[in-house]
Amino acid sequence: MPILELKKVSYAYEKGKKVLQNVSAELEAGKMYAILGPSGSGKTTLLSLLGGLDVPAQGNVLFNGEGITAKNMEAHRRNHISLIFQSYNLIDYMTPVENVRLTAKLDAAPILERLGLKQDETARNVLKLSGGQQQRVAIARALASDAPVILADEPTGNLDADTAGEITEVLKESAHTFGKCVVVVTHSGEVAKQADVVLEIRRGRLSVNS
Amino acid sequence: MSISKRAFLYVTRKTGKTVLLFAILLIMATFVLTGLSIQKASKATQLALRQSLSGTFDIFVDWGNSPYVVTETVREDYDEETGKTATGFLMYSTVQFIPENIAAIKDISGVKYCSARQDNLLPFEELSLFPGTIAMDEKYKGYTKMFGVCNTQDDELFTTGTLTLSNGRHISADDTHTAIISQDLAERNDLKVGDYLTAHCYNTDEDGFTGEEIKLQIIGLFTPNAIEPFGQTVTTYDKIQNRVFTDLQSSKEIDGGTINYGFSSLHITIADPQDMARVIADVKALPGIDWKAFRIEADNKTYENAAAPLATLNELVVTLLVVIIVVSAIILALILTLWTKTRIHEIGVFLSVGIRKPAIIGQHLIEVLLIAILAFGISYFTSSAIAGQIGNHLLEQSMQGGPEDEDEDDVSAAAAVDIGADYLIEKPLPTENGIQVSVGADNLAWLYLIGFAIIIMAVSTSSITVMRLNPREILSKMS
Repeated sequence: MPILELKKVSYAYEKGKKVLQNVSAELEAGKMYAILGPSGSGKTTLLSLLGGLDVPAQGNVLFNGEGITAKNMEAHRRNHISLIFQSYNLIDYMTPVENVRLTAKLDAAPILERLGLKQDETARNVLKLSGGQQQRVAIARALASDAPVILADEPTGNLDADTAGEITEVLKESAHTFGKCVVVVTHSGEVAKQADVVLEIRRGRLSVNS
Repeated sequence: MSISKRAFLYVTRKTGKTVLLFAILLIMATFVLTGLSIQKASKATQLALRQSLSGTFDIFVDWGNSPYVVTETVREDYDEETGKTATGFLMYSTVQFIPENIAAIKDISGVKYCSARQDNLLPFEELSLFPGTIAMDEKYKGYTKMFGVCNTQDDELFTTGTLTLSNGRHISADDTHTAIISQDLAERNDLKVGDYLTAHCYNTDEDGFTGEEIKLQIIGLFTPNAIEPFGQTVTTYDKIQNRVFTDLQSSKEIDGGTINYGFSSLHITIADPQDMARVIADVKALPGIDWKAFRIEADNKTYENAAAPLATLNELVVTLLVVIIVVSAIILALILTLWTKTRIHEIGVFLSVGIRKPAIIGQHLIEVLLIAILAFGISYFTSSAIAGQIGNHLLEQSMQGGPEDEDEDDVSAAAAVDIGADYLIEKPLPTENGIQVSVGADNLAWLYLIGFAIIIMAVSTSSITVMRLNPREILSKMS
């Protein structure tokens, strides 16, 4: 049974100018998905609909078979979804540990350690860490929330190739080792290569390449 | 992570903003607390002023209009040298106040004292008086002034503290043939409580106090706390040390007739000058007093003149408080709104991880409250340091801006009323040395109440932006 499901979803920013048209897809736990597409094709919009940040104009987004509506969006975000952004989006007045504890249901320290952050680094101001380290903290926050779905928007966009590779590996591990459903919006072919399933958006339509 | 933990982390880590907000709240709190303290002090001083000055009014026989005033010719003296005739008149009212009237007035709520006197100028046998500074006709050298009263406790000389009973007891309404004299006069004449003074009733045939002998037992001695100023001219009979108080019954007997059976005037002291109109109305409503015979003269000018700057100060402080509160709320709301806009990124992150909007606004509120608790507490000291100076400066401004006082002595010498040589003791007014402003716990409690209300209002206003945006919009702004 898919953990997330898109059923004939359409979305338009302006009347008559649809970004997504009758998009349907099934996303399963334990797999890493990559969403590819040109700029403005609707990749981030699709991620927003999956993450309960917005509601579709038509069609439904289902989590474990249950529809996500405007009423239960907040609970969906809080309980089912972890978001990772290109710009890390960490809270600047908190240390890495405190950032992870923001929504943590699991112990923060072992997760940070597992993601390669040393103990002294976890107690520093988060802005004093490198980009790769900050993204690791963001991933640690996503893992510690114990949400079954991780949605990542260009998580390697600001990172060098080596660090991007490491982060992609961590995301892949999250899917395969921790059983998360990881959805990554990316322009990077390298990241897409690591995904189990690649979804491509063109002219509002979604195609699946396994 | 709890809301309060997040708020605590923000306040302790964003030290620049915290210090700035602390300074703003401290200034705001100092002004509000100072205003509240001055207002409280002003009210307390007004109350002290009312209690200190009291209010007084007099009721007189209306000699000009009363239908009960009788004028009798008592004698005609022919001067052989000039060949002219001098005519003597006796003028009196057939309606006078009796002790029952005085008792009824005293029972009215708000009346402190009701002072009434009959006065006579007469000689006492074998009584050596303190000499005055004015040369007198030989006939009057042994004369002194005697006050016939219902009770001395209510007499103005005693109620104002000009005289103090130093020995024995006061004269009361039931007493007959009693007297109170000064301690000085008693010592000069080797008299003590229990001894007797001898006087004679007025003899109309002989036009002098040559009638029946009356013995007055000395039941008390008084000490004057104020005497005539040095160099003041005073007659022997007006010297305060020579004053004799006696009961009404004895005074009537010595007067020798039935004309003066009561009092022609009353001096009434009330506890609160603000009650003047009500007390006068109550007095006028009393049964058994024929108001065709009397007129009332109220004197509230002293209180009104003294209280006017305080009332102005109070109005000034209330206006300032309102302005401070409104300006503080606006400034705080503007600053917090600006800061909220700079926190869009943080708000977006919180929303993306499922933290509710009320919890985010709650965090902002707790942050400001945490700083405010400290700032308001410290404002106790800053306000204490400046409240007194500001309060008295404002009071001075209020005094300068007040109406011109036609008779300045009314205020500066509030109680210095001259009754012959009986100078009533001069009490300092509560405002003469400024107002005593102190910051109290109640002021601080009000500050917290007002301050928290301002903060809640300001945070709510600044949060409107957050409440309006949906998470998608916020995350777009973040991008």
